[in-house]
Amino acid sequence: MKRLVLTILTLTLLFSLAGYITAEGLEKKTVSPEIINEIGQYGGKYTLALTSAPQSFNYYGAIDWNIFVIMGNVLDSLTDENPVTKEVEPSLAKSWQVSKDGTVVTLNLRKGVKWSDGHPFTADDVIFTFNHLTLNPHAEANEVNRYQIAGEMVRFEKKDDYTVEAILPAPYGPFIKILAQAPITPKHKLEKYLDPDNPGAINQAWSTGTDLKDIVGTGPFMLKEYITDQKVVLERNPHSWLYDSAGNQLPYLDQLVYLIVKNNEVALAKLQAGEIDQLQIKGKDFTTLKKAELAGASFRVLTGSPVNPTPSPTHLSFNFDVENEALREAFRNLKFRQAMDHLIDRDRIIEEVYNTLAIKSGMPVVPTNKAFYNPEIEKLRREFSLEKASQLLDQLGYLDTDNDGIRELKDGSDFEFNLMTAVNLQDRVDIASLLKDNLEAVGIKVNLNLIKSGLVFDKALAGEFEAMIMAFGNQSDPQFRKAIWQPGRALYYWHLSTMSEDKKPILQNMYPWELEVFNKFEQGQVTMDPVKRKAYYDDWQRIYAEKLPVIFITKGMDLYVVQNNIGNYFLNDDNIIVRVTDTIFKK
Amino acid sequence: MFNYIVRRILSMIPLLILISILSFTVIKLQPGEFGSQYFNNPRVSPETVIQLRKRLGLDQPAYRQYLKWVKGIITEGDFGYSFAYKRPVAELIWERMGWTVTVASATMLFTWLLAIPIGIYSATHKYSFLDYIFTFIGFIGISIPNFFLALVLMYLVLAQGGTAVGGLFSNEYIGAPWSWAKLLDLLKHIWIPLIAIGTAGMAGLIRQMRGNLLDVLGRQYVQTARAKGLKERVVIYKHAVRNAINPLISMLGMQLPQLISGTIISAIVLNLPTMGPFFYDALINQDQYLVMTFLMFSAIMMLVGNLIADLLLAWVDPRIRYD
Repeated sequence: MKRLVLTILTLTLLFSLAGYITAEGLEKKTVSPEIINEIGQYGGKYTLALTSAPQSFNYYGAIDWNIFVIMGNVLDSLTDENPVTKEVEPSLAKSWQVSKDGTVVTLNLRKGVKWSDGHPFTADDVIFTFNHLTLNPHAEANEVNRYQIAGEMVRFEKKDDYTVEAILPAPYGPFIKILAQAPITPKHKLEKYLDPDNPGAINQAWSTGTDLKDIVGTGPFMLKEYITDQKVVLERNPHSWLYDSAGNQLPYLDQLVYLIVKNNEVALAKLQAGEIDQLQIKGKDFTTLKKAELAGASFRVLTGSPVNPTPSPTHLSFNFDVENEALREAFRNLKFRQAMDHLIDRDRIIEEVYNTLAIKSGMPVVPTNKAFYNPEIEKLRREFSLEKASQLLDQLGYLDTDNDGIRELKDGSDFEFNLMTAVNLQDRVDIASLLKDNLEAVGIKVNLNLIKSGLVFDKALAGEFEAMIMAFGNQSDPQFRKAIWQPGRALYYWHLSTMSEDKKPILQNMYPWELEVFNKFEQGQVTMDPVKRKAYYDDWQRIYAEKLPVIFITKGMDLYVVQNNIGNYFLNDDNIIVRVTDTIFKK
Repeated sequence: MFNYIVRRILSMIPLLILISILSFTVIKLQPGEFGSQYFNNPRVSPETVIQLRKRLGLDQPAYRQYLKWVKGIITEGDFGYSFAYKRPVAELIWERMGWTVTVASATMLFTWLLAIPIGIYSATHKYSFLDYIFTFIGFIGISIPNFFLALVLMYLVLAQGGTAVGGLFSNEYIGAPWSWAKLLDLLKHIWIPLIAIGTAGMAGLIRQMRGNLLDVLGRQYVQTARAKGLKERVVIYKHAVRNAINPLISMLGMQLPQLISGTIISAIVLNLPTMGPFFYDALINQDQYLVMTFLMFSAIMMLVGNLIADLLLAWVDPRIRYD
């Protein structure tokens, strides 16, 4: 506890030094050195592609990746996650203190910050946002589940214009981090959309038909123009409070343009024609573009270690609750799952499916995540070996008794199962077919069942599958994904009998190791000390690697193409691609 | 005539009701619904999805959802809300109408203005060298899928060092006020969709026109006209073509719904800001009221197109009377 208090004190001190007060009373923020390679120059337009039109401009009003991307430039959260190190940084809150018992977090807001229309930012905006948007269960993209601790909600209270207190029902480890994903919105603009008779009315605020002057933020950019289905233009916010180390106000760019390009080939064409400045690409397009680069094209291709949730890491799962009794017995057996792990030829998958652009760790925590990754699991991974898989299956007594080349299950029927995956996601389909070959080589028959990706989820959550190749995006803190990885939760889909009808965990239906994982997550949630939290989640990763509730396969690398005249877009020493619109500039 | 029009319009009502029931049934027969897509999303908790389904009324039986929608239309002229966009459906469709109608009418104009003269030429110069060439090009147009032709054209432009691919404008002209430079930029872009989408319809029209005209040219009244010593030009344009073009007029009416709903895949490939890709997304997301309104709109265009075709027919052909 003493160490915790000390850490917090040091942090507070550090952070209050980081923000210094100017003549106008603005407490500026100097951006972290990780996202700046060189001091930039002002001006220019930076054009990106967006795969579809935004459904709205209301961050909390619709669940839509495009809103998330666009409004990420317009709105700020209380804290910020460093895009490179994933560590928490001050943002609209310049510092914070946690009470001794860990249940009261005092957030000190940055003074002198203005909305892009000049209206001052205060604690009222924070309270408004949490009460009517973030924690409003009727807001479509609400974050209620993140702020629900031990069945109770976090409360936010205004102390004075620049101090907000968060009252937690119990200590909550990732609290400061979840604040980084809750952008603060302007009360003076959104208040008029509230309707006491219709709590869902707020979803209609800031729709795509709104006058863009009405959409204001504290972020580095503000919305300038939206041409339906064609482009979104953002321009520099004159009231931005971000500065570089030389004291220049950020961003450097005059304009940020999102072109709406639905088709991958068109996006590539526009990139090659120089109409788009940067693009995330797929493994299959890598070779062509790299060749173009080497032949002297105006752009370069960057391959970086994975840091983002997507491309989602793939895994293989077996339904522990499948109806067929003989299959269920096999799937629940650890040795069987070990045999399956031996059948996954990760080298070949990386080579053939991902064009060598993937890494072996398909774990929920990416290796670049210093805060949580447990490197021990790499030693626990089983190598590809048909012999070892066969031996394990022999030991289990699954033998080919009728000599038809297919092993028999305990009830005498052929060892055969359906492997389901999303037909529109090529990497998963390819992995499934490679796996099918290996399974058939050791005498297990597989029928591929390829369906629409949205339906794969429905099938998974209904328990209507035998085996599945699936993927969930990575998150920086395991707590954010506990609905998936903690037994007894809604998305722990391979063992649904650990959850009751009313979505409560049933402890007695869990295996001892599942119970252990369950407890680690519970402890990780209520511990505020980062070191202890890491230990809990290290154990979770180790148990997963040993007991194989699901078998992790691969994670695609980050692949981006960028024009040569874009500055502060680079590969850093840890092989991470740094590309933050706050500091990017045009040469 | 007036009675006839009124009768036709009234008979559309039961037809539209039937179409709407059928469309809604098909939408509901698809597995999953609007909420399903969100299970994939790291930001969304399953509880939120369940709440969302409830708020949108998706937990109610299908017939209730349908009746709610119909009631809105009849009592308030409200075609419902888009689940995804949180805005009235009619507004969303209206926003995209401009470019959709522009691109589609330009394509139709391109197709018809080229196809009819070529068809006439082919018929009057049967088995000539050019007739074969046109036939050949026409069949290529029919057999190559639009979206593929679009991709090939874009590739060719890029390979030649051109940059005007995808969309209707270069970046800087999107949303800019109209000017000669902007018009020029539009022309630089729009020829690809015109050719890619237009050629498919063109071949069919050429063959129709050629076949009909050949048919008519073999008739006895054409022989009579020639025997009377009329000029060949008058024989063909005044007598033959006027009769041969009748079936094409009914085809024109059928093309009206294509103004808004045609060529979805090509529009996606070409990145056109038209209704097609928008409708496709709504279909994939199962944004049901948006899909329904769109389908109904399409159906109305079809029925109205047919009516207009019939009226046009009566206008060009004095032998046709409806009373």
